[in-house]
Amino acid sequence: MRRSLAFLSLLFILGVLLYVANPDYGLKFGLGGDDWKNMRYTDDYYITHGVNETGGTNIVTDIVFDYRGYDTLGEATVLFTAIAGAVALMRPWRGDEDEE
Amino acid sequence: MMLPFLIVIPLFGAFSMPIVSLLGRKAREAWAVIVSLATLGVAGAVFYDIWSTKKVLVYTLGAKSPLGQGVDFPIRIVWEVDLLGAIMILIVTFVAFMAILYSIGYMKHDTGLEKYYTLILILELGMLGIVMTGDLFNFYVFLEIMSIASYALVAFRTDTWEGIEAGIKYMFVGSIASSFILLAIALLYGQYGTLTMSYLAAKMAENPTVVGKVALSLFIAGLLFKSGASPVHMWLADAHPAAPSPISAMLSGLVIKAGGTYALARILFSIYGTSVGMKTVGWVIIVFACITLIVGNAMAVIQTDIKRLLAYSSVGQIGYILLGIGIGLAAYGTNAGEIALAGAIYHTVNHALMKALLFLVAGAVIHELGTRNLNELSGIAKTMPKTTFAFLIGAAAIIGMPPLNGFASKWLIYESSAIFNPVLGAIAIIGTAFCTAAYVRVLYTFFGKPSERVMEAKDPEGSMLLPMIILVLAIIVMGLFPWQISEKIMIPAVDMLKDQVHYITAVIPNFIGGA
Repeated sequence: MRRSLAFLSLLFILGVLLYVANPDYGLKFGLGGDDWKNMRYTDDYYITHGVNETGGTNIVTDIVFDYRGYDTLGEATVLFTAIAGAVALMRPWRGDEDEE
Repeated sequence: MMLPFLIVIPLFGAFSMPIVSLLGRKAREAWAVIVSLATLGVAGAVFYDIWSTKKVLVYTLGAKSPLGQGVDFPIRIVWEVDLLGAIMILIVTFVAFMAILYSIGYMKHDTGLEKYYTLILILELGMLGIVMTGDLFNFYVFLEIMSIASYALVAFRTDTWEGIEAGIKYMFVGSIASSFILLAIALLYGQYGTLTMSYLAAKMAENPTVVGKVALSLFIAGLLFKSGASPVHMWLADAHPAAPSPISAMLSGLVIKAGGTYALARILFSIYGTSVGMKTVGWVIIVFACITLIVGNAMAVIQTDIKRLLAYSSVGQIGYILLGIGIGLAAYGTNAGEIALAGAIYHTVNHALMKALLFLVAGAVIHELGTRNLNELSGIAKTMPKTTFAFLIGAAAIIGMPPLNGFASKWLIYESSAIFNPVLGAIAIIGTAFCTAAYVRVLYTFFGKPSERVMEAKDPEGSMLLPMIILVLAIIVMGLFPWQISEKIMIPAVDMLKDQVHYITAVIPNFIGGA
């Protein structure tokens, strides 16, 4: 019962996402011309002004380390947390250390 | 401008912890306490600044203005803190400081403590990042920081089977919830081309689309998971009992609010606001709130494990907060809606204090007696009087006894739900009846005939007792001035949360209110 309900809701979500991914109703793909200017204005700004404002020629690194450097700091923290967590969980059990 | 130090100090503290801990155990405990105390100090300054000026604080990372040269849209990450954010900042840093202070005594017999203190500081950092940010993707990054730190901390006691089991369950459920949120952000970016919350709100008000609605439903689904609402509360009832008690206090008091109800309120009011049918969304939240209220509180009554009881009670209290948010949406613009929202914000603060206290008390009992089974704990009042008194205060506050802080916040929620729809008021009262039954049952056990096991127990040491005393004092003092606090802090916070146009114009000055 629960399994079939879960399957039906997954099917429903898939249907909704397919509807949204249809250019006639929802998201457009392969934007060009006016659509590009209207819907990807931020990207357009980065490409036009990126070299001047940050001094780097690689747009992706310009965005990742300058415009959105705080997110990169956050991602570094995620990695640090993941490592700290993994090391913390792999430590020997309490009883095992008494032998020292 | 003190705002950046809220991120800088805990980040520095966490990243320097592996080096500081080379100096030995005392050094790392002292370092964790100093770092969290400094964060609390900065949080107090930020809160006072925002509260006294009643302005939305905006900070752009990397430039003077969030807007690009010659254009009128933001290109950089912004922080945007209004009074609701400031309240959350203050309560997060306060409870985190209490939990770290408590850990000194509680975690004495555990190993791997340098990782423990690193992770607990990162948990605090993640929550601060969530409540400060004004950028949608940045919100996701900090949600992940918070979630990953809490997965690791739930499973921290690897030599217990339940720690690992709860950690795995929490991690699977939490990752799915996070990916819902990421998918929603991707859809919104694809449709509107911006990640800044306030500019997104402006674009959405101009052009509401079906993509925005699908993204909203994904947001609601993901954030209800994170806040432990029914019917997706099952991870919470496992994770909170299995974690070490200071972590349960932080998870139950803070994580489910910063990453759950706060984020829900922020996204619903500040981003979507008037551009979706608020009545419909409000009723969706109300339905989940009512289920959560009944299920959480009713399940709390039948538990025999003290921490599991507290965990289910947290689910129940999240129901009240969601009910407040839901009525605030469904009755937007009316008096009842405003009272409900004020009650929800007030209850968030109160529940963080009360549940932190209750979990710290439960931790002290487990620390002394080594059992969580309520049936073995009878008569603790004889041998652990101070701890029992702290529990009595916490339990009375969570039920909503008049001289304590839980009364005012619950009253605001009852009052508004009764005005809005009497059926909801009745459901809220039924939830409280179950809650009362659960806590009275625990108190009966505590004051009963002392069992053999309890006889050698005594009150815990100073570093564990001090946080409990501070929290008891906070609950009593807040209970003495309920209407002043609600008038001076909670109502202005509601006004700022509802003022979507102001939230937008704080970042984009020349936006002409279309909302």
